Amino acid sequence: MSEEQIKPRPTPKPNRFVDTNAFWQGTKDGQLMMQYCPDTKQFQHYPRPISLYTGKRNLEWRKVAGTGTIYACTIVRVPGPSMEGRLPLSVVTVELDEGVRILGNVLNMAPDKVAIGQRVELAWDAVNDETAYPAFNVVEA
Amino acid sequence: MSDENMVIAGYSETAVEFRSGRSAYDFAGEAFAALLASTGVDIARVDGLSVTVPLSECANPFFAFYMTEALGLSPTWLNYGGMGGCSATGGVARAMAAIREGQCEVAVVLSADAPSTNWGANYGAWRGEFQDPVGVLGPPSAFGLLMSRYEHQYGLNYEALAKIAIAQRQGGLMNDNAFEKLKKPITVDDYMNSRMIADPLRLLDCVMFCDGGNAFLVTSEAKARELGIEKMVRPTAYAEVTNFKGADPVADVTETGFSVLAPKVFEKSGLKPGDIGSFQPYDDFTIAVMMQMEDFGFCEKGKGSDYVMATDLSCKGDLPLNTGGGQLSAGQPGLASGGLNLAEAVRQMFGEAGQRQVANTQNALVTGIGVIPYARNWGTSTAMILEA
Repeated sequence: MSEEQIKPRPTPKPNRFVDTNAFWQGTKDGQLMMQYCPDTKQFQHYPRPISLYTGKRNLEWRKVAGTGTIYACTIVRVPGPSMEGRLPLSVVTVELDEGVRILGNVLNMAPDKVAIGQRVELAWDAVNDETAYPAFNVVEA
Repeated sequence: MSDENMVIAGYSETAVEFRSGRSAYDFAGEAFAALLASTGVDIARVDGLSVTVPLSECANPFFAFYMTEALGLSPTWLNYGGMGGCSATGGVARAMAAIREGQCEVAVVLSADAPSTNWGANYGAWRGEFQDPVGVLGPPSAFGLLMSRYEHQYGLNYEALAKIAIAQRQGGLMNDNAFEKLKKPITVDDYMNSRMIADPLRLLDCVMFCDGGNAFLVTSEAKARELGIEKMVRPTAYAEVTNFKGADPVADVTETGFSVLAPKVFEKSGLKPGDIGSFQPYDDFTIAVMMQMEDFGFCEKGKGSDYVMATDLSCKGDLPLNTGGGQLSAGQPGLASGGLNLAEAVRQMFGEAGQRQVANTQNALVTGIGVIPYARNWGTSTAMILEA
Protein backbone atom coordinates (compact mmCIF):
# COMPACT_ATOMS: atom_id res chain seq x y z
CA MET A 1 0.00 0.00 0.00
CA SER A 2 1.45 3.37 -0.94
CA GLU A 3 1.37 6.28 1.51
CA GLU A 4 -1.25 8.09 -0.55
CA GLN A 5 -3.74 5.30 -0.04
CA ILE A 6 -3.53 5.32 3.75
CA LYS A 7 -6.63 6.92 5.20
CA PRO A 8 -5.73 9.98 7.26
CA ARG A 9 -6.20 9.49 10.96
CA PRO A 10 -9.14 11.39 12.44
CA THR A 11 -8.51 14.22 14.89
CA PRO A 12 -9.47 13.01 18.38
CA LYS A 13 -12.65 14.65 19.66
CA PRO A 14 -11.83 17.03 22.53
CA ASN A 15 -13.86 17.58 25.69
CA ARG A 16 -15.61 14.23 25.69
CA PHE A 17 -14.43 13.52 29.22
CA VAL A 18 -13.41 16.79 30.85
CA ASP A 19 -12.55 20.23 29.43
CA THR A 20 -9.36 19.60 27.47
CA ASN A 21 -9.30 22.75 25.35
CA ALA A 22 -5.99 23.86 26.85
CA PHE A 23 -4.33 20.59 25.82
CA TRP A 24 -5.59 20.85 22.26
CA GLN A 25 -4.76 24.56 21.97
CA GLY A 26 -1.27 23.56 23.14
CA THR A 27 -0.94 21.11 20.26
CA LYS A 28 -1.58 24.04 17.89
CA ASP A 29 0.99 26.19 19.70
CA GLY A 30 3.64 23.47 19.90
CA GLN A 31 3.32 23.21 23.68
CA LEU A 32 2.51 20.19 25.84
CA MET A 33 -0.07 21.43 28.34
CA MET A 34 -0.96 19.40 31.42
CA GLN A 35 -3.28 19.76 34.35
CA TYR A 36 -1.62 21.22 37.43
CA CYS A 37 -2.78 21.28 41.03
CA PRO A 38 -1.57 24.62 42.46
CA ASP A 39 -2.39 23.54 46.03
CA THR A 40 0.13 20.68 45.96
CA LYS A 41 2.29 21.92 43.07
CA GLN A 42 1.90 18.63 41.20
CA PHE A 43 0.92 17.75 37.66
CA GLN A 44 -1.53 15.01 36.76
CA HIS A 45 -2.11 13.21 33.47
CA TYR A 46 -4.43 12.24 31.86
CA PRO A 47 -6.63 15.20 32.90
CA ARG A 48 -9.19 14.57 35.62
CA PRO A 49 -12.39 16.27 36.84
CA ILE A 50 -10.70 16.97 40.21
CA SER A 51 -7.20 17.14 41.66
CA LEU A 52 -6.05 13.62 42.55
CA TYR A 53 -4.10 15.13 45.42
CA THR A 54 -6.72 17.28 47.15
CA GLY A 55 -10.09 16.19 45.79
CA LYS A 56 -10.78 19.82 44.85
CA ARG A 57 -11.55 21.30 41.47
CA ASN A 58 -8.83 23.91 41.85
CA LEU A 59 -6.87 23.00 38.72
CA GLU A 60 -4.83 24.92 36.18
CA TRP A 61 -3.18 24.04 32.90
CA ARG A 62 0.54 24.59 32.63
CA LYS A 63 3.15 23.94 30.03
CA VAL A 64 5.61 21.13 30.73
CA ALA A 65 9.08 21.02 29.21
CA GLY A 66 8.41 17.74 27.45
CA THR A 67 11.70 16.26 28.57
CA GLY A 68 11.88 13.03 30.46
CA THR A 69 13.02 9.43 30.63
CA ILE A 70 11.52 6.32 29.08
CA TYR A 71 9.88 4.31 31.88
CA ALA A 72 8.43 1.44 29.84
CA CYS A 73 8.48 0.58 26.16
CA THR A 74 6.85 -1.78 23.74
CA ILE A 75 6.49 -2.26 20.00
CA VAL A 76 2.89 -2.57 18.95
CA ARG A 77 2.62 -4.97 16.03
CA VAL A 78 -1.10 -5.60 15.82
CA PRO A 79 -3.35 -3.70 13.45
CA GLY A 80 -6.32 -1.65 14.58
CA PRO A 81 -8.21 1.55 13.85
CA SER A 82 -5.86 4.38 12.76
CA MET A 83 -2.86 2.02 12.80
CA GLU A 84 -2.45 1.74 9.02
CA GLY A 85 1.09 2.57 7.96
CA ARG A 86 2.30 2.99 11.56
CA LEU A 87 3.36 -0.61 12.36
CA PRO A 88 5.59 -1.63 13.97
CA LEU A 89 4.90 1.28 16.31
CA SER A 90 7.13 2.32 19.19
CA VAL A 91 4.95 3.01 22.25
CA VAL A 92 6.51 4.26 25.45
CA THR A 93 5.56 5.44 28.90
CA VAL A 94 7.61 8.57 29.54
CA GLU A 95 8.27 9.85 33.01
CA LEU A 96 8.44 13.60 32.49
CA ASP A 97 10.88 15.65 34.53
CA GLU A 98 7.89 17.29 36.20
CA GLY A 99 7.05 13.97 37.91
CA VAL A 100 4.17 12.70 35.83
CA ARG A 101 3.88 9.97 33.21
CA ILE A 102 2.45 10.07 29.70
CA LEU A 103 2.02 7.51 26.95
CA GLY A 104 3.54 8.42 23.62
CA ASN A 105 5.29 7.31 20.45
CA VAL A 106 8.99 7.64 19.70
CA LEU A 107 9.39 9.14 16.25
CA ASN A 108 13.13 9.38 15.54
CA MET A 109 14.41 5.88 16.21
CA ALA A 110 13.79 2.35 14.99
CA PRO A 111 11.35 0.79 17.49
CA ASP A 112 13.77 -2.00 18.40
CA LYS A 113 16.43 0.54 19.41
CA VAL A 114 14.17 2.32 21.89
CA ALA A 115 14.93 1.34 25.49
CA ILE A 116 13.99 2.10 29.06
CA GLY A 117 16.16 4.81 30.57
CA GLN A 118 16.71 6.75 27.35
CA ARG A 119 16.22 10.50 27.59
CA VAL A 120 13.53 11.96 25.38
CA GLU A 121 12.27 15.36 24.31
CA LEU A 122 8.95 16.53 22.97
CA ALA A 123 8.20 15.96 19.28
CA TRP A 124 5.04 16.26 17.25
CA ASP A 125 3.32 13.44 15.42
CA ALA A 126 1.24 14.58 12.45
CA VAL A 127 -2.11 12.88 12.96
CA ASN A 128 -3.41 14.55 9.79
CA ASP A 129 -2.96 17.88 7.96
CA GLU A 130 -4.63 19.85 10.75
CA THR A 131 -3.60 18.06 13.93
CA ALA A 132 -0.32 17.29 15.65
CA TYR A 133 -0.17 15.04 18.70
CA PRO A 134 2.54 15.11 21.39
CA ALA A 135 5.20 12.44 20.85
CA PHE A 136 8.88 12.05 21.67
CA ASN A 137 12.32 11.88 20.14
CA VAL A 138 15.14 10.05 21.84
CA VAL A 139 17.97 12.45 22.69
CA GLU A 140 21.17 10.78 21.52
CA ALA A 141 23.76 10.73 24.29
CA MET B 1 -25.67 -9.90 61.15
CA SER B 2 -25.43 -13.64 61.20
CA ASP B 3 -22.22 -15.44 62.15
CA GLU B 4 -23.15 -18.41 60.03
CA ASN B 5 -20.64 -19.89 57.64
CA MET B 6 -21.23 -18.84 54.08
CA VAL B 7 -20.55 -21.35 51.35
CA ILE B 8 -20.31 -21.83 47.63
CA ALA B 9 -22.67 -24.79 47.37
CA GLY B 10 -22.48 -25.41 43.65
CA TYR B 11 -20.88 -24.29 40.42
CA SER B 12 -21.50 -24.69 36.73
CA GLU B 13 -19.71 -23.71 33.59
CA THR B 14 -20.52 -23.81 29.89
CA ALA B 15 -18.02 -24.83 27.26
CA VAL B 16 -15.93 -21.92 25.97
CA GLU B 17 -16.69 -21.23 22.31
CA PHE B 18 -15.44 -18.78 19.70
CA ARG B 19 -17.95 -16.77 17.65
CA SER B 20 -20.67 -19.02 18.96
CA GLY B 21 -23.43 -16.86 17.49
CA ARG B 22 -25.08 -17.03 20.90
CA SER B 23 -25.82 -14.27 23.41
CA ALA B 24 -24.80 -13.67 27.02
CA TYR B 25 -28.42 -14.39 27.96
CA ASP B 26 -28.23 -17.78 26.33
CA PHE B 27 -24.92 -18.73 27.97
CA ALA B 28 -26.23 -17.43 31.29
CA GLY B 29 -29.37 -19.51 30.93
CA GLU B 30 -27.30 -22.60 30.15
CA ALA B 31 -25.05 -22.04 33.17
CA PHE B 32 -28.00 -21.23 35.44
CA ALA B 33 -29.98 -24.32 34.42
CA ALA B 34 -26.89 -26.49 34.86
CA LEU B 35 -26.37 -25.05 38.35
CA LEU B 36 -29.95 -25.83 39.36
CA ALA B 37 -29.60 -29.34 37.93
CA SER B 38 -26.29 -30.09 39.65
CA THR B 39 -27.40 -28.75 43.05
CA GLY B 40 -31.01 -29.93 42.90
CA VAL B 41 -32.16 -26.47 43.99
CA ASP B 42 -35.65 -25.46 42.88
CA ILE B 43 -35.67 -22.21 40.91
CA ALA B 44 -38.23 -20.79 43.34
CA ARG B 45 -35.65 -20.89 46.14
CA VAL B 46 -33.29 -18.47 44.37
CA ASP B 47 -33.87 -15.04 45.91
CA GLY B 48 -30.57 -13.30 45.18
CA LEU B 49 -28.79 -12.65 41.90
CA SER B 50 -25.44 -11.13 41.01
CA VAL B 51 -24.93 -10.52 37.29
CA THR B 52 -21.65 -9.58 35.63
CA VAL B 53 -21.64 -6.68 33.17
CA PRO B 54 -20.81 -8.34 29.83
CA LEU B 55 -18.92 -6.73 26.96
CA SER B 56 -21.49 -8.09 24.57
CA GLU B 57 -24.53 -6.51 26.27
CA CYS B 58 -23.11 -3.57 28.20
CA ALA B 59 -24.80 -0.97 26.02
CA ASN B 60 -27.96 -1.95 27.89
CA PRO B 61 -27.85 -0.46 31.41
CA PHE B 62 -30.72 -2.75 32.38
CA PHE B 63 -29.03 -6.03 31.51
CA ALA B 64 -29.24 -7.29 35.11
CA PHE B 65 -32.99 -6.65 35.22
CA TYR B 66 -33.45 -8.22 31.78
CA MET B 67 -31.60 -11.25 33.13
CA THR B 68 -34.07 -11.64 36.01
CA GLU B 69 -36.87 -11.43 33.48
CA ALA B 70 -35.16 -13.92 31.18
CA LEU B 71 -34.78 -16.37 34.07
CA GLY B 72 -38.15 -15.67 35.72
CA LEU B 73 -36.56 -14.69 39.02
CA SER B 74 -37.89 -12.18 41.58
CA PRO B 75 -34.77 -11.61 43.64
CA THR B 76 -34.84 -9.58 46.86
CA TRP B 77 -31.16 -8.76 46.25
CA LEU B 78 -29.70 -7.85 42.86
CA ASN B 79 -26.10 -6.92 42.17
CA TYR B 80 -24.70 -5.78 38.82
CA GLY B 81 -20.98 -6.42 38.90
CA GLY B 82 -18.88 -4.05 36.83
CA MET B 83 -15.42 -5.10 37.92
CA GLY B 84 -14.61 -7.06 34.80
CA GLY B 85 -12.69 -10.19 35.65
CA CYS B 86 -13.22 -9.53 39.37
CA SER B 87 -17.00 -9.68 39.10
CA ALA B 88 -17.31 -13.41 39.88
CA THR B 89 -15.17 -13.50 43.03
CA GLY B 90 -16.44 -10.02 43.95
CA GLY B 91 -20.01 -11.18 43.31
CA VAL B 92 -19.56 -14.13 45.68
CA ALA B 93 -18.22 -11.82 48.38
CA ARG B 94 -21.09 -9.37 47.91
CA ALA B 95 -23.63 -12.20 47.95
CA MET B 96 -22.18 -13.45 51.25
CA ALA B 97 -22.53 -9.98 52.75
CA ALA B 98 -26.09 -9.66 51.48
CA ILE B 99 -27.03 -13.04 52.97
CA ARG B 100 -25.47 -12.06 56.29
CA GLU B 101 -27.54 -8.87 56.18
CA GLY B 102 -30.67 -10.89 55.59
CA GLN B 103 -31.31 -9.43 52.11
CA CYS B 104 -31.56 -12.87 50.53
CA GLU B 105 -30.89 -16.51 51.40
CA VAL B 106 -29.93 -18.31 48.21
CA ALA B 107 -27.98 -16.25 45.70
CA VAL B 108 -26.69 -17.13 42.26
CA VAL B 109 -23.57 -15.37 41.00
CA LEU B 110 -23.97 -15.46 37.25
CA SER B 111 -21.45 -14.39 34.63
CA ALA B 112 -21.85 -14.81 30.90
CA ASP B 113 -20.45 -12.94 27.95
CA ALA B 114 -20.14 -13.36 24.20
CA PRO B 115 -17.71 -10.69 22.95
CA SER B 116 -16.41 -12.85 20.12
CA THR B 117 -19.96 -12.87 18.75
CA ASN B 118 -21.06 -9.35 19.62
CA TRP B 119 -18.73 -6.55 20.77
CA GLY B 120 -20.91 -4.04 22.61
CA ALA B 121 -18.33 -2.11 24.59
CA ASN B 122 -17.15 1.47 24.22
CA TYR B 123 -14.68 2.37 26.94
CA GLY B 124 -14.96 6.05 26.12
CA ALA B 125 -13.67 8.35 28.86
CA TRP B 126 -10.16 9.70 28.27
CA ARG B 127 -9.09 6.96 25.90
CA GLY B 128 -10.10 8.65 22.67
CA GLU B 129 -7.95 11.68 23.49
CA PHE B 130 -5.05 10.26 25.47
CA GLN B 131 -4.59 6.55 24.79
CA ASP B 132 -5.98 5.57 21.38
CA PRO B 133 -3.92 8.20 19.49
CA VAL B 134 -0.65 6.58 20.62
CA GLY B 135 -1.82 3.14 19.53
CA VAL B 136 -2.54 1.55 22.90
CA LEU B 137 -5.80 0.05 21.71
CA GLY B 138 -6.14 -2.91 24.03
CA PRO B 139 -4.74 -4.95 26.89
CA PRO B 140 -1.83 -6.53 24.95
CA SER B 141 -0.13 -3.16 24.31
CA ALA B 142 -0.62 -2.18 27.95
CA PHE B 143 0.85 -5.49 29.07
CA GLY B 144 3.75 -5.13 26.66
CA LEU B 145 4.62 -1.92 28.50
CA LEU B 146 4.18 -3.59 31.90
CA MET B 147 6.32 -6.58 30.91
CA SER B 148 9.09 -4.31 29.65
CA ARG B 149 9.23 -2.56 32.99
CA TYR B 150 9.16 -5.83 34.93
CA GLU B 151 12.01 -7.15 32.80
CA HIS B 152 13.97 -3.94 33.31
CA GLN B 153 13.67 -4.11 37.10
CA TYR B 154 13.96 -7.83 37.77
CA GLY B 155 14.98 -9.66 34.63
CA LEU B 156 12.67 -12.06 32.84
CA ASN B 157 13.33 -15.57 31.56
CA TYR B 158 10.96 -16.14 28.65
CA GLU B 159 11.32 -19.89 29.14
CA ALA B 160 9.58 -19.43 32.48
CA LEU B 161 6.65 -17.73 30.78
CA ALA B 162 6.67 -20.55 28.23
CA LYS B 163 6.52 -23.02 31.11
CA ILE B 164 3.46 -21.27 32.56
CA ALA B 165 1.77 -21.40 29.16
CA ILE B 166 2.71 -25.06 28.67
CA ALA B 167 1.67 -26.17 32.17
CA GLN B 168 -1.70 -24.54 31.73
CA ARG B 169 -2.09 -26.01 28.25
CA GLN B 170 -1.60 -29.48 29.75
CA GLY B 171 -4.56 -28.68 32.01
CA GLY B 172 -6.60 -27.36 29.12
CA LEU B 173 -6.08 -30.59 27.18
CA MET B 174 -7.90 -32.39 30.01
CA ASN B 175 -10.74 -29.85 30.19
CA ASP B 176 -13.91 -30.70 28.27
CA ASN B 177 -15.02 -27.07 28.48
CA ALA B 178 -11.84 -25.64 26.94
CA PHE B 179 -12.16 -24.01 23.52
CA GLU B 180 -11.62 -26.77 20.99
CA LYS B 181 -8.99 -24.99 18.85
CA LEU B 182 -6.75 -24.42 21.88
CA LYS B 183 -6.68 -28.13 22.64
CA LYS B 184 -3.31 -29.01 21.20
CA PRO B 185 -0.05 -29.38 23.12
CA ILE B 186 2.52 -26.58 22.92
CA THR B 187 6.29 -26.62 23.38
CA VAL B 188 8.88 -24.07 24.42
CA ASP B 189 9.69 -23.64 20.72
CA ASP B 190 6.04 -22.98 19.92
CA TYR B 191 6.05 -20.29 22.60
CA MET B 192 9.32 -18.69 21.46
CA ASN B 193 8.21 -18.78 17.83
CA SER B 194 4.75 -17.40 18.47
CA ARG B 195 4.50 -13.97 16.93
CA MET B 196 5.26 -10.79 18.82
CA ILE B 197 2.13 -8.82 19.62
CA ALA B 198 3.59 -5.98 21.70
CA ASP B 199 7.23 -6.70 22.52
CA PRO B 200 8.18 -8.51 24.64
CA LEU B 201 4.63 -9.94 24.74
CA ARG B 202 4.08 -12.91 22.42
CA LEU B 203 0.87 -14.45 21.14
CA LEU B 204 1.19 -17.39 23.54
CA ASP B 205 1.39 -14.97 26.48
CA CYS B 206 -2.16 -13.81 25.70
CA VAL B 207 -5.71 -14.99 26.17
CA MET B 208 -8.18 -15.21 23.34
CA PHE B 209 -11.56 -13.51 23.65
CA CYS B 210 -14.30 -16.16 23.44
CA ASP B 211 -17.88 -16.71 24.60
CA GLY B 212 -19.14 -18.62 27.63
CA GLY B 213 -20.67 -18.50 31.08
CA ASN B 214 -20.54 -19.78 34.63
CA ALA B 215 -22.65 -19.72 37.77
CA PHE B 216 -22.19 -20.24 41.51
CA LEU B 217 -24.68 -20.95 44.26
CA VAL B 218 -23.94 -18.90 47.38
CA THR B 219 -25.82 -19.50 50.61
CA SER B 220 -25.30 -20.27 54.28
CA GLU B 221 -24.01 -23.68 55.25
CA ALA B 222 -27.25 -24.33 57.19
CA LYS B 223 -29.42 -23.41 54.21
CA ALA B 224 -27.32 -25.54 51.90
CA ARG B 225 -27.81 -28.56 54.18
CA GLU B 226 -31.54 -27.80 54.39
CA LEU B 227 -31.60 -27.87 50.58
CA GLY B 228 -30.00 -31.31 50.67
CA ILE B 229 -26.64 -30.14 49.32
CA GLU B 230 -23.58 -31.99 50.55
CA LYS B 231 -20.72 -30.58 48.50
CA MET B 232 -19.72 -27.06 49.50
CA VAL B 233 -16.66 -24.92 50.04
CA ARG B 234 -16.24 -21.99 52.39
CA PRO B 235 -14.77 -18.73 51.15
CA THR B 236 -12.85 -18.04 54.35
CA ALA B 237 -10.95 -14.99 53.22
CA TYR B 238 -11.60 -12.35 50.59
CA ALA B 239 -9.99 -9.03 49.83
CA GLU B 240 -10.14 -6.57 46.95
CA VAL B 241 -8.62 -3.27 45.96
CA THR B 242 -9.42 -1.01 43.03
CA ASN B 243 -7.19 1.61 41.44
CA PHE B 244 -4.27 0.65 43.67
CA LYS B 245 -1.95 3.66 44.15
CA GLY B 246 -4.30 5.55 41.85
CA ALA B 247 -3.22 8.97 43.10
CA ASP B 248 0.52 8.29 42.78
CA PRO B 249 1.62 9.69 39.41
CA VAL B 250 4.92 7.78 39.47
CA ALA B 251 3.93 4.51 41.19
CA ASP B 252 6.11 1.47 40.54
CA VAL B 253 3.94 -0.39 38.02
CA THR B 254 5.44 -3.74 39.02
CA GLU B 255 3.85 -3.29 42.44
CA THR B 256 0.26 -4.55 42.23
CA GLY B 257 -2.84 -4.57 44.39
CA PHE B 258 -2.16 -8.22 45.21
CA SER B 259 0.79 -7.15 47.34
CA VAL B 260 -1.69 -5.74 49.86
CA LEU B 261 -4.34 -8.45 49.42
CA ALA B 262 -2.03 -11.40 50.00
CA PRO B 263 -1.18 -10.64 53.65
CA LYS B 264 -4.88 -10.00 54.33
CA VAL B 265 -6.19 -13.31 52.97
CA PHE B 266 -3.38 -15.36 54.49
CA GLU B 267 -3.91 -13.74 57.88
CA LYS B 268 -7.69 -14.15 57.77
CA SER B 269 -7.52 -17.81 56.73
CA GLY B 270 -4.49 -18.68 58.82
CA LEU B 271 -2.93 -20.35 55.78
CA LYS B 272 0.55 -19.85 54.37
CA PRO B 273 1.59 -19.96 50.71
CA GLY B 274 3.00 -23.46 51.23
CA ASP B 275 -0.42 -24.70 52.40
CA ILE B 276 -2.20 -23.85 49.14
CA GLY B 277 -3.71 -26.91 47.46
CA SER B 278 -4.23 -25.32 44.09
CA PHE B 279 -3.54 -21.85 42.75
CA GLN B 280 -6.14 -20.56 40.29
CA PRO B 281 -4.95 -17.02 39.51
CA TYR B 282 -6.58 -14.77 36.94
CA ASP B 283 -4.51 -15.30 33.82
CA ASP B 284 -5.14 -12.80 31.08
CA PHE B 285 -1.38 -12.82 30.39
CA THR B 286 1.43 -15.11 31.58
CA ILE B 287 3.29 -12.23 33.23
CA ALA B 288 0.24 -11.55 35.43
CA VAL B 289 0.47 -15.15 36.67
CA MET B 290 4.16 -14.77 37.49
CA MET B 291 3.65 -11.43 39.25
CA GLN B 292 0.90 -12.99 41.37
CA MET B 293 3.18 -15.88 42.35
CA GLU B 294 5.51 -13.24 43.73
CA ASP B 295 2.83 -11.12 45.35
CA PHE B 296 1.32 -14.14 47.13
CA GLY B 297 4.72 -15.10 48.48
CA PHE B 298 5.29 -18.34 46.60
CA CYS B 299 8.62 -16.70 45.86
CA GLU B 300 10.35 -13.37 46.40
CA LYS B 301 9.42 -10.30 44.37
CA GLY B 302 11.35 -10.40 41.12
CA LYS B 303 12.28 -14.08 41.44
CA GLY B 304 9.27 -15.39 39.53
CA SER B 305 11.32 -16.75 36.61
CA ASP B 306 13.58 -18.83 38.86
CA TYR B 307 10.63 -20.04 40.91
CA VAL B 308 8.69 -21.17 37.84
CA MET B 309 11.71 -22.97 36.37
CA ALA B 310 12.23 -24.84 39.66
CA THR B 311 8.58 -25.70 40.34
CA ASP B 312 6.27 -28.40 39.02
CA LEU B 313 3.11 -26.49 38.12
CA SER B 314 1.14 -29.51 36.94
CA CYS B 315 -1.95 -30.83 38.69
CA LYS B 316 0.25 -33.42 40.40
CA GLY B 317 3.04 -30.94 41.14
CA ASP B 318 4.27 -28.67 43.91
CA LEU B 319 1.92 -25.84 43.00
CA PRO B 320 -0.96 -26.96 40.80
CA LEU B 321 -1.57 -23.90 38.59
CA ASN B 322 -4.79 -23.09 36.72
CA THR B 323 -5.41 -26.79 36.45
CA GLY B 324 -8.17 -26.52 33.85
CA GLY B 325 -5.95 -24.56 31.48
CA GLY B 326 -6.99 -21.21 32.89
CA GLN B 327 -8.17 -18.58 30.49
CA LEU B 328 -4.94 -18.87 28.52
CA SER B 329 -5.74 -22.40 27.39
CA ALA B 330 -9.51 -22.71 27.88
CA GLY B 331 -10.26 -19.35 26.25
CA GLN B 332 -11.43 -16.17 27.95
CA PRO B 333 -15.23 -16.03 28.05
CA GLY B 334 -15.29 -12.22 27.91
CA LEU B 335 -15.92 -10.66 31.31
CA ALA B 336 -17.26 -13.98 32.61
CA SER B 337 -13.52 -14.68 32.73
CA GLY B 338 -13.05 -14.54 36.49
CA GLY B 339 -15.62 -17.27 37.00
CA LEU B 340 -13.51 -19.67 34.95
CA ASN B 341 -10.69 -19.68 37.51
CA LEU B 342 -13.22 -19.80 40.37
CA ALA B 343 -15.14 -22.72 38.83
CA GLU B 344 -11.95 -24.73 38.51
CA ALA B 345 -11.09 -24.06 42.16
CA VAL B 346 -14.49 -25.28 43.34
CA ARG B 347 -14.40 -28.25 40.94
CA GLN B 348 -11.02 -29.33 42.32
CA MET B 349 -12.23 -29.04 45.90
CA PHE B 350 -15.39 -31.01 45.05
CA GLY B 351 -13.09 -33.74 43.71
CA GLU B 352 -14.70 -33.50 40.28
CA ALA B 353 -11.65 -32.67 38.17
CA GLY B 354 -11.18 -36.15 36.71
CA GLN B 355 -7.78 -36.72 35.12
CA ARG B 356 -6.48 -33.40 36.35
CA GLN B 357 -7.61 -33.85 39.96
CA VAL B 358 -5.19 -32.39 42.51
CA ALA B 359 -4.35 -34.29 45.69
CA ASN B 360 -4.92 -31.48 48.19
CA THR B 361 -8.59 -30.50 48.07
CA GLN B 362 -8.56 -28.78 51.45
CA ASN B 363 -8.24 -25.31 49.97
CA ALA B 364 -7.65 -23.22 46.86
CA LEU B 365 -6.53 -19.67 46.16
CA VAL B 366 -8.44 -17.83 43.43
CA THR B 367 -7.89 -14.33 42.12
CA GLY B 368 -9.48 -11.80 39.82
CA ILE B 369 -8.08 -9.00 37.71
CA GLY B 370 -10.31 -6.34 36.24
CA VAL B 371 -9.79 -3.50 33.79
CA ILE B 372 -6.63 -1.99 32.32
CA PRO B 373 -5.88 1.55 33.56
CA TYR B 374 -3.71 4.27 32.00
CA ALA B 375 -0.01 3.30 31.95
CA ARG B 376 -0.06 1.12 35.08
CA ASN B 377 -0.87 -2.57 35.69
CA TRP B 378 -4.52 -3.41 36.32
CA GLY B 379 -7.58 -1.74 37.80
CA THR B 380 -9.10 -4.13 40.32
CA SER B 381 -7.51 -7.06 42.14
CA THR B 382 -9.48 -9.65 44.12
CA ALA B 383 -8.25 -12.63 46.13
CA MET B 384 -10.35 -15.39 47.66
CA ILE B 385 -9.31 -18.40 49.68
CA LEU B 386 -11.70 -21.35 49.65
CA GLU B 387 -11.51 -23.99 52.33
CA ALA B 388 -13.23 -27.34 52.67
